[in-house]
Amino acid sequence: MTTDDIQAVLAEAVAEVAASADPAALEAARVRYLGRNGRVQDILLALREAPPDQKREFGRLANEFKNGVQAAVDARREAIQSAASVASFDVTLPGRWPGLGTRHPVTQIIDRAVEIFSQLGFVVADGPDIETPFHNFDALNTPAIHPSRDPKDTFYLDDGRLLRTHTSPVQIRVMQSRPPPVRIIAPGRCYRRDTTDATHSANFHQVEGLYVDRKVSLADLKGDLTYFARQMMGPDVKIRFRPHFFPFTEPSVEYDFSCHVCGGKGCRVCKHSGWIEISGAGMVDPNVFKAVGYDPAEVTGYAFGMGVERIAMILLGIPDIRMLYDNDVRFLKQF
Amino acid sequence: MKIPLSWLTDYIDLDEPPRAIADRLTFSGTEVEGIETVGSTYEGFVVAEVRAVEKHPNADKLSVCRVFDGENELQVVCGAPNVQAGGRYPFARVGVTLPDGSLTIKKAKIRGVESFGMLCAADELGLSSDHSGLLVLDAKWAPGTPLAKVLGPPDTVFELEVTPNRPDCLSLTGIARELAAVYGIKRKALETEDGKRKTEIQTPVTDHRSLVTVEDSSACARYTARVLEQVTIGPSPEWMKQRLERAGIRSINNVVDITNYVMLETGHPLHAFDRDLLAGGRVVVRRAREGERMATLDGVERELDPSILVIADAERPVAVAGVMGGAGSEICEKTARVLLEAAWFEPALVRATARKLGLSTESSYRFERGVDIEGVEYASRRAAQLMVELAGAKVVGEVVDTRPAAAAPRRLSGRFQAVRDVMGVALSDAAIADIFKRLEIDVQVKPEGAFEAVIPSFRGDLEREIDLVEEVARIHGLDNVPVPHPRAVVDPTAGRETTVRAKGRLRAALAGLGVSEILNYSLVSEPQLDLFDAGNKPNRVVIPRPISADQSVLRPSLVPQMVETLGRNRAHQADQAALYEIGRTFSRDEAGAVVETDRLCIGLMGPLGRAALDRRRAVTSEEIFLWAKGLLEALARGMGLGALDVKSAVAAYAEPGTAVELFAGATRLGTLALVDRRIRKEWRLTDPIAVMELDASALLARALKVRVFSDIPAFPSVARDVAMIVADAVSHDDIVRVIRAAAPPELEAVELFDIFKGPAIGAGRRSVAYSLTYRSARRTLTDDEANGYHDVVKAALRKELAAEIRES
Repeated sequence: MTTDDIQAVLAEAVAEVAASADPAALEAARVRYLGRNGRVQDILLALREAPPDQKREFGRLANEFKNGVQAAVDARREAIQSAASVASFDVTLPGRWPGLGTRHPVTQIIDRAVEIFSQLGFVVADGPDIETPFHNFDALNTPAIHPSRDPKDTFYLDDGRLLRTHTSPVQIRVMQSRPPPVRIIAPGRCYRRDTTDATHSANFHQVEGLYVDRKVSLADLKGDLTYFARQMMGPDVKIRFRPHFFPFTEPSVEYDFSCHVCGGKGCRVCKHSGWIEISGAGMVDPNVFKAVGYDPAEVTGYAFGMGVERIAMILLGIPDIRMLYDNDVRFLKQF
Repeated sequence: MKIPLSWLTDYIDLDEPPRAIADRLTFSGTEVEGIETVGSTYEGFVVAEVRAVEKHPNADKLSVCRVFDGENELQVVCGAPNVQAGGRYPFARVGVTLPDGSLTIKKAKIRGVESFGMLCAADELGLSSDHSGLLVLDAKWAPGTPLAKVLGPPDTVFELEVTPNRPDCLSLTGIARELAAVYGIKRKALETEDGKRKTEIQTPVTDHRSLVTVEDSSACARYTARVLEQVTIGPSPEWMKQRLERAGIRSINNVVDITNYVMLETGHPLHAFDRDLLAGGRVVVRRAREGERMATLDGVERELDPSILVIADAERPVAVAGVMGGAGSEICEKTARVLLEAAWFEPALVRATARKLGLSTESSYRFERGVDIEGVEYASRRAAQLMVELAGAKVVGEVVDTRPAAAAPRRLSGRFQAVRDVMGVALSDAAIADIFKRLEIDVQVKPEGAFEAVIPSFRGDLEREIDLVEEVARIHGLDNVPVPHPRAVVDPTAGRETTVRAKGRLRAALAGLGVSEILNYSLVSEPQLDLFDAGNKPNRVVIPRPISADQSVLRPSLVPQMVETLGRNRAHQADQAALYEIGRTFSRDEAGAVVETDRLCIGLMGPLGRAALDRRRAVTSEEIFLWAKGLLEALARGMGLGALDVKSAVAAYAEPGTAVELFAGATRLGTLALVDRRIRKEWRLTDPIAVMELDASALLARALKVRVFSDIPAFPSVARDVAMIVADAVSHDDIVRVIRAAAPPELEAVELFDIFKGPAIGAGRRSVAYSLTYRSARRTLTDDEANGYHDVVKAALRKELAAEIRES
């Protein structure tokens, strides 16, 4: 046997091993080449008979042959085994692991709003749901005869306290408790005597923002709300102010977001106006500062409120506010 | 308030399209809520004369008319009750389409009679919603005259929302002023505004000083009266009727229409009395007397009291001041002498009266918000002028005015820099001053960047510098306020936001555990609370005037609504649900003070803990209880609370024997229980339901605590199992306690791995098996050492619990 013959037998062996279709054929091939009477014996004989100066070369080739065939057999066995294991169970059966729970859209929006304003340095503040008329109305410059105080619109308790009609009393509590500057975000539940329908609910959530410092301006309000709008609704959203009137701010504005769905061109979501009314805001009225002992000559500030359910409905396309309180799992699992 | 654009242009020249004008108003603070087009070019509509009217042979309510349209005499069937022979009416010929496109007139047979066209009512012409009868046209219009010539070109009506601080905008003059400021143009002065026509309407003959007596001058700071005689009551001219109708006011007669017209024009409500129906021919402004009664113009007999200001004659009240006139002195066809009232009434008083009487009128709406006291006499003069022109009236005598001298205008000082600072806009002093001028506010520049503004009397809302800033902001335009990049400012004094972050961690943990969040209303019904726990009645916070009985108590617990939610979802064919709510609860403490507590409630329903292919079997109470407990244990670990302890407890809504109180160390967290069958029946929940209610602050207390590292064991552990048969009365807790007490400190863990009951074991007993893990922190334990520990444990179990240890 020449060295070339050994190479040829190796190639032949590798091809035969690779062609073996099942473990029995593979074993037969292995025995044929590496077995007691296999072709390897011819090679070992050739090694023994080789002239001394070629013994080394024959030895190397004999090893190469044994290792090469064994490696081919091992690889083929692995391949046959894994091919056999493929069909052993139904991979299309449903997976088995408990699922995740979902977050309510309202608390998701609240957390997102808090997160966005936290980036601007706002800290979270909280207050009670049951408020005094002082915190809910008087300190917020609401005239004694203002319609919002009417028991037709506000829930009163027997002791004269009330269920807060907005989150603005938190502004008062915070400003009473500390000197300026103040930068707070206050999410919370509010109550109004609205008969429940598709867009009204006797209780709902607001997120209140307040920023008081030297030289806080209407432009700051616009800049910060624009930042919020873009973080919340989308990078191209614009903000628009319309002058309005609230007792606790002067100047007061209502603010709109450009429609995040159509980009302002007009669609069903924005009722073809390109804009979506969000809520009210403005510069804190000097009388509010006086009520909490701040000096209106020293500081200015802005405040805004936003209806969380309203934003959730707009952003998530929820048509009826009542769906947010129905707690139907078919609804909840979508968020 | 409705403003017809064609009327508005009497006071200001506008050459922008209606949509653009509306936007200017909206973005300067007077929101245009609606833009409506009224009228049309009326192609094919003409004036027709009805020459004869006969009853329809087959219908009681229809007439058959002979109609002359200027060219032909046609037969037309008409259903209007007011059609009369000789009358002139709008007529739509065959082939004509109504302005709103709803109908094209065809030759028709109506109840067997042919009809060639249609006589029209105001609604069919798109003029108003009036369908009470045909629109009656003046006899001066010849048949065949195009209707467009009679009704004028199409018009635009703005529906405005005026904010409560701007009563001056409740008039066409006020809106014209706004637009003049916004556009920076001059508005047109009214004829009598500069006093030019003043002399023409006055014939100073009679001394009227006794005409008016004001008894309560704080409630009525100004009262003016004019006397007009030889008045001819009749319909108003078409143009006035049309304007009023477009502004949403029904035309009555010329004198009443003039008072309404001038109110819309100037914002001053006026009232005209028939002077011949006033006892003594004079008026007294006074408080009503106890027990006095009066029928108002709406025909309602009203009881009055001294909180109400009235206009009385020499004997009795004839009007509720600022709200509504009385039926007894109403202008009627026979009226010849008119006493014209223009006055100023205290806003709070008018509001209180309007509310007390449940009567809100155009007049009360304006007085409540405050009319311009200086403009009262002008409004009276303007109305008198129109009565002279349109009702043939003669003005008799001087005006009686209880406050003839004008008050000095209010002066406000301000700083230009404050305007810039609050707006965040770099406006020059001159630009700011120009805006004031456009608003008819005179400005004098003072030293050091200050100014003094002279406030016109109609702007009672401008009281402070900040009010002037707002004026500049809205006229300059909020769109022109820049949008700077936000400034992030860190508050170094702010505390750590523990609650928000801890709640975030809680919600994340619950989501990971497969529990979904819900939100329920804070207001609940008494019967529902009674169903769950009638015993907490004294502690409930009740709303004295609820919207409905369903929402009359602030919830003392989140549990009832959780069960209701599970029930509702069950009714929607959900076979399992794991839900939670974080919410505020309200109850009274022993002293009666209301306490607000944030809580977490979790509700479980269905085979949540089962393998996927084992969900058809009914869930047992034990299963769902243990799932709930397992969920809580995982949650407690996640929230840094460590192991949970349970103690049997009683809850009013619990299935007997299933309620436990939950503790983390010494802190009571809340309650876990299965809901009683009696309650579940309300929602047809046949399978057991687990509910947990935990105090949020206790649950969150350790959530953000830093967790200190402890060594990972360096030496291997040795496991030994123990299987035993014990009496049912021996609890898992008992067994673990005995094992822990007996074993050396090397006992690391005790885990139950099998539990079995059956005939082979015998009644009243069960087989349980535990795996115990022993480990030393200092070395590898030998088999002998572990066996030694384990023998001690087994002995203790035998001795203390009479356990039969099953040796393998």
